[in-house]
Amino acid sequence: MRSVLCYGDSNTHGQIPGRGPLERYGPEERWPGILRSQLGPDWYVIEEGLSGRTTVHDDPIEGAHKNGRTYLRPCLQSHATLDLVIIMLGTNDLKIRFNKPPSEVAMGIGCLVYDIKELAPGPGGSTPEIMIVAPPPMQDDVKEWKSIFAGAPEKSRLLALEFEVLADSLELHFFDAGSVVSCSEADGFHIDAEAHRLLGTALARAVDAIGWSRST
Amino acid sequence: MRFAPPNPLRIADRASGLNALSVRSYNERLVLSLLLQNEGISRMEIGEKTGLSAQTASVIVRSLEQEGLVSQGEAQRGRVGPPTIPLSLNPEGAYAVGVGFSRRRIDIALIDFIGTVRFHTQLPADEANPFPQSSELLEAIRQAMTSLPVEARGRVAGIGLAVPDEVDAMAATRNGSSTSLKALQGEIEEQIKLPVFVQNDITAAAGGESMFGVAKPLNDYLFFYLGARLQSRLILNHQIYKGNSSASFDHGLVRLESELTRRGRPSEIIWSSSPEWPDLGEAYGAWLGECSNRLKASISALTQFVEFRTVVLSSYAPQKIAKALCADISQEFATIEALPARVTISPKAVGAASLPFSSRFMIQ
Repeated sequence: MRSVLCYGDSNTHGQIPGRGPLERYGPEERWPGILRSQLGPDWYVIEEGLSGRTTVHDDPIEGAHKNGRTYLRPCLQSHATLDLVIIMLGTNDLKIRFNKPPSEVAMGIGCLVYDIKELAPGPGGSTPEIMIVAPPPMQDDVKEWKSIFAGAPEKSRLLALEFEVLADSLELHFFDAGSVVSCSEADGFHIDAEAHRLLGTALARAVDAIGWSRST
Repeated sequence: MRFAPPNPLRIADRASGLNALSVRSYNERLVLSLLLQNEGISRMEIGEKTGLSAQTASVIVRSLEQEGLVSQGEAQRGRVGPPTIPLSLNPEGAYAVGVGFSRRRIDIALIDFIGTVRFHTQLPADEANPFPQSSELLEAIRQAMTSLPVEARGRVAGIGLAVPDEVDAMAATRNGSSTSLKALQGEIEEQIKLPVFVQNDITAAAGGESMFGVAKPLNDYLFFYLGARLQSRLILNHQIYKGNSSASFDHGLVRLESELTRRGRPSEIIWSSSPEWPDLGEAYGAWLGECSNRLKASISALTQFVEFRTVVLSSYAPQKIAKALCADISQEFATIEALPARVTISPKAVGAASLPFSSRFMIQ
């Protein structure tokens, strides 16, 4: 059996657009759940989504535990061995409090990739396959999040290219979520149930396309 | 160093369709060559055949996809083992124009990335002056390119010229210099603004068959081209050998023409690219027998020196002829399979058109 770790923020956690952080789609509706059903019994799908998670930043307001980098290492060790790590982060880095350009958000992802390669939690101590997923661009109207995400919607549209440049240069698998889904109008940066379904289905296809030998 | 900004050089340039100016990496060429030979293989199979890691193959396939050279098929589910996503060359990914020079005519063909002829036209050739009106030729090349939709015209990778040695030599004598072919090449490059590649015509025809035809899976084979004359090339380990004497036998269509003339019958039809010929009477039978004997003699002579299991017979003449000759050969030699070539519309022009592809996209 193969293992895939889905490492992300609220859009991996399944937070319902326009609702609070405790309101979440069910396990079968969230994209990791869709991925699980699409990939079938040969795959063990590990969900690791946290609302507000950044790539590498301690959040001075929401807490240091939102730092995706400090939690990644124990998380990888907990779930080793892993055949594939899917990372979908970046939206929270665009909060005005971090003041980061899109290129530096991509570099944050690069740090996570570096850590995965160093820890090598793949089969036999190898580097697992790594897939970078660029989050879908935010809507221009982010409702009551407007001040927190000041300037972010515009930057969010540049993430996919920056992430792909990173993926090309580090030789990683890449998928642009914006090519299949958009964020919900309800709050402008979360994806709805239908988008989870489409994203999970598209990612299952992207995982298939990596190509896996018949022996597991 | 560890966290320096990433180097963006690898990413495909989205602005230009064919990434024209950048030099393609060896691995990109390797993947394209594999896809040319194996339609519908998966990224995993690419990895197995090339030794590239899954992630490296991903990066290459992604950039080739963005350039429109490669397309993904639907997932193949429901078989034993994990599903696979087949990859193929995108036929619309690139085009090339080929020009085949013969004694009687000049063929101009435009092919797509998998070798399908999308446009074909002919100009009459003047035996005394083999590169006659370059303006007419340029016009025909332009016509071939404008047969494509406007948005596809930027995807023409180049132009190939397949030129018989004797035509080149003849032009040189006539013009008193050996630069006439070079001059033509230069003129086309300047006028059409695309690279022009030149190769001997029979070698080009063999190359086209290796790239797109029945010879695709073959490492070694003996190639015959039946045109005005009967000519051959030996292909060993994908290398086309020309040999020192450009052995060419007088058993081609020139011989059939003289048989017909001797019997007072019209012979014009054999120089057309008509897929069917009318009944040519006993002249045809006599010629076919001689031609078959000549082929068998050549094969028999060569088998004493080189081991090969396949003979490919290429011709623009009706398929019926190649089939009949191949049947004769297969019957004569138990260990040799004779196959009519798949490229039948002007094999020389198609071979010429394959030159820009092999130069720009494939490993040699």
